[in-house]
Formats: sequence, structure tokens, C-alpha cells
Amino acid sequence: MARSVSTRRKLFFTVAAWSVALLIFFPVLWTILTSFKTEASAVASPPELLGADWTLQNYSDVWARSDYPRFFMNSVIISIGSTLLGLLIAIPAAWSMAFVPGNKTKDLLMWMLSTKMMPAAAVLIPMYLIFQKTGLFDTRTGLVLALMLMNLPVIIWMLYTYFKEIPGEILEAARMDGASLKNEVLYILTPMAIPGIASTMLLNIILAWNEAFWTITLTTVNAAPLSAFIASFSAPQGLFYAKLSAASTMAIAPILIMGWFGQKQLVRGLTFGAVK
Amino acid sequence: MAGKPRGLRLFRNLNAKVAAVPMVLTTLVVFVGGTLWTVLYSFTNSKLLPRWQFVGLDQYKRLWSNDLWNAAIWNLAFYGVMSLIFTITMGFVLAVLLDQKIRFEDTFRTIMLYPFALSFIVTGLVWQWILNPEMGIQEVVRRMGFEGFTFDPLHNPNTVLYGLLIAGLWQGTGFTMCLMLAGLRGIDEDIWKAARVDGIPKWKTYLFVVIPMMRPVFITTLVIVAAGIIKLYDLVVAQTSGGPGNASQVPAMYVYRYMFTAQNLGQGFAASTMMLLSVLIVLIPWAYLEFGGKKHG
Repeated sequence: MARSVSTRRKLFFTVAAWSVALLIFFPVLWTILTSFKTEASAVASPPELLGADWTLQNYSDVWARSDYPRFFMNSVIISIGSTLLGLLIAIPAAWSMAFVPGNKTKDLLMWMLSTKMMPAAAVLIPMYLIFQKTGLFDTRTGLVLALMLMNLPVIIWMLYTYFKEIPGEILEAARMDGASLKNEVLYILTPMAIPGIASTMLLNIILAWNEAFWTITLTTVNAAPLSAFIASFSAPQGLFYAKLSAASTMAIAPILIMGWFGQKQLVRGLTFGAVK
Repeated sequence: MAGKPRGLRLFRNLNAKVAAVPMVLTTLVVFVGGTLWTVLYSFTNSKLLPRWQFVGLDQYKRLWSNDLWNAAIWNLAFYGVMSLIFTITMGFVLAVLLDQKIRFEDTFRTIMLYPFALSFIVTGLVWQWILNPEMGIQEVVRRMGFEGFTFDPLHNPNTVLYGLLIAGLWQGTGFTMCLMLAGLRGIDEDIWKAARVDGIPKWKTYLFVVIPMMRPVFITTLVIVAAGIIKLYDLVVAQTSGGPGNASQVPAMYVYRYMFTAQNLGQGFAASTMMLLSVLIVLIPWAYLEFGGKKHG
């Protein structure tokens, strides 16, 4: 008797939770559906579902725009490039803070993290002027640098929390056995750190992929990634809903897919990045 | 013999310090350098280009007597308070729901987090669409037979902020939910057992035992969400562009406008300095609570 009640309870909570999830997912689902409709069908009222004209035309139209593949490639290069560069700087820093903490380590971390919370607008003009002067404005290199800088605090913080979980005793043991610093890092630390690094990478690629403030302000046409492309669509004249949906779907598809396959990493990464 | 390990340790420590140098340098140069530069130039009358002509607090006086700025500040304050209250309450309630060992929990969590993983730009666009009276919710409800139904928050200056709020909540609630869930999972199982033995109802346990224990999680969430709110920019740009009129202007848009469109850098600098200041007001008490009180503990 008691068990059947608890099963029913569980069922109730499951149904409730899934209704919420469906509600949350609906806008994304609708965008994806709309991207496969004709323009007429997309703006039809009431919204058409079963009787809609389905088509792949929007995708080929958007892709056929001479500049779309460039936006897409820019997004790929910028998000992956800035992540790799960020890891290069962050791994040594996080390693040193996690395994050789000094008196100031906590303060330093705190300060790092707080820079991420600063409004980007505060460094907008200095960055803008430096980029103009050095010829980095509207280049992929420039954006890789800018996004790396913006996300560096998050990368370091996440790596730090992951490295902290690696038991120090193992390193001590390796030292006792006479492992050199190089071997210690290469053969002991790295294999244990890979999952943490991978999660950090995933999260950071997503952050960089989504970045809009810097990509809008520091590019015009050449280096603009998808986020800037989509933003330019939101101008009043861009009333092509089906095509806009197709463009948006292509912009969010990599995230949906990466997020799906990296569910554990994504959630763990996000929560561990903030909850100590 | 005793000297060698110590020497080695010193060597390791030195290496560790060197390893942290690139990070410290980049942060120092970009964030501290850029920020100081902005703050300094906010006291000048820079127009199209920054120039070093000191005018004291003039830019700030002008800023605070500017209607657009004041509107932006009030909009942000309203949006911010509402957003904090709702994301944290809804995030907590959803986390409790998720904590009832529902089926397919991982998948559920991922779906809830999807909006957070999507950019504000896409969020803004999608919600602009859903809230559009001719094709969104209003139209659907009217077709269902409620002819008089009106739901057009984005084109009404009095309600446009609620429209932004809906999109913002949609985007951020999954994230707070995950933070809260991590907090809930961190609560010792024995506490639940003890509460059950004492016959305390579940909701009371949550309210009077679990929530107080989760204080650090709540504070961290509060700070992260608040800092994000102050920066609010892309969502507004994509959803309303600050309109109708100036009813959904926010400070970050003011900065952008004065720097690029009005070409009045001094105003932009003063506005960004005010934004910085407000972030500091949020951060410093938190830093003190979290790190200052138990620094070496």
C-alpha cells in the first residue's frame, strides 16, 4: 500500500517536472519547426502545425547567402580558438593555485572571478581603441583574443575547482618516488585532469559561441560570427521569420547537440563552476 | 640531506608562481588597466576621441540630469528586483521538484539548462516572436474563442519590462535551478532522517532547516544573477531595442549609445563608471562575507 502511494507520488512529480520541461523547451522547438515551413506558413494565423507546408528551402536560402558560410566559420574559429588559447594560459595558473596555494591564492581567485562580473561596457572603449590602433579590429585574431580575455576568469575558476578534487597525496607519492616536475605534470596530473579540462572546454566553447556584446562591437563584416549575424536580423526590416528561424536553428544547433552529448559535463561544469 | 627537499620545494613554489604570471598579467592589464582608464577619462570632456581635459564631476552631473539615464536606471532596478525574486524562487521550487527522484532526471536537467546555453540574442528574438500580438500567444488564445484577449506586453511602455522579464526568466531559471539542486544534494541525508523521525512535515523541513543551511548557495546565486542583471544588454537589443520610446532602455545601452552613436565618450565613460560602481556594491559585501570572514580557515 505504502509503496503504491510512493510510486504514484513519484509519477505525479515526474509528470509535473516534464510539463515544465516541455513548456521551457517549447520556444526552441517552435523555432526549429518554423525553420522548416514556408514563409507564408510561418506567419499564418492561427499557427499551423499539421497542415503546414514543409520545406528545406529556408536552409538552402540562408546557406546560399554569399556571406553565411563565412559567419559560420568565424563562429567556429573564434569559439574554438579562444578556448584553446584560454586553456593554455589557464592550466598552469589553475594548477599552481590548486596544488601550491599561497596566502593570497583565495584573494587572487576571488579577484579573478569578480572581473567576470564586471560590466563589459567598462572596458569597451579602451579595448575598442586598442583594437583600432593595432589593426585587430574586425579580425578573427582580435576576437579570439578578446573572447579569451573575457572568459579567462571562468576557465581558471572551473579548472581550479576540478584540480582541487585531484587528491594531493598521489602527487606527493609521485614526488617521493622521485618524479620530476615535468613527469609529474605530464603523466600524473594530466590524465587525472582531462575530464575537468574537457568540461571546461565544452562550457567555454558555448560561452564564446554565444558572446554577442564583443562580437557586435569589435567587428563589422569580416570577422563577425553568427551571434552578430543574428543580431543584425533583428532590425525591423528583417521580417522573414522562416529564414530567421533557419538561421537561428543553425546558430543554436551546435549548442543543442554538444549540450546533449555532454549533459553531465555541462551541468557539472556549470554548477561546479559556481558552487563550492 | 634536509636542505635538498626544502630547496626542491622552493623550486616548485617558484615554478607555481611563474605559472600564474600570464594569467595575472592579462587580467591586470586588461581589466584593471582598462577599468582605470575608463574611470579616469570619465572626468574629462572627451567627445569623439578621448582627450585629457579635466572637467571634474561635470559628466556625472549631466548624466544624472539626463532623462534617458534616469529611465534606464529605473528600468534596470525594476527588472533586477523582479528578476532576482522570481529566478531564485522558481529555481528553488524546481530544484525541490527535481530532488523528488523523478524519472530521467539528467535529461530533464539538460532541457532546463538549454535556454541558458542559448545566447541572449536568440532568446530575445524567439520571445519577441512569441509575444508578438499577430502571431504569438495573443493570436492563439483569440483563435481559441477568447476574442477580447489582449496580450501585447512589448508594445506597451507600461508592460514592456514584464515582456523582457519573461524572456530573462526563461533563460536564467534553469541555471539557478542547477545551482540550487547542487545545494540540495549537498545537504546531509541524516538531516532528512532526523526530520522524519521527529515527524516534521517535508515542507517545514525545507523552509526551516534546508533553506537556512543553503545560505551560501543562495548568496552565491544572488551575486551571480545580480551581476548579470547589471550587464543586461543583448536581450534588450534583440527583443525591444530599448523601446517603445525609451521604456526598456538599460544602462548598458546608454553607454553604447553615447560612445558610438552620440559620439560623446565622456558621457559613456561616466555611465560605465556608474555601472562598475553598482557591481562593486553587489560584490564587495559578498567578497567580505565569503572570503574575508574565514580567509585562512
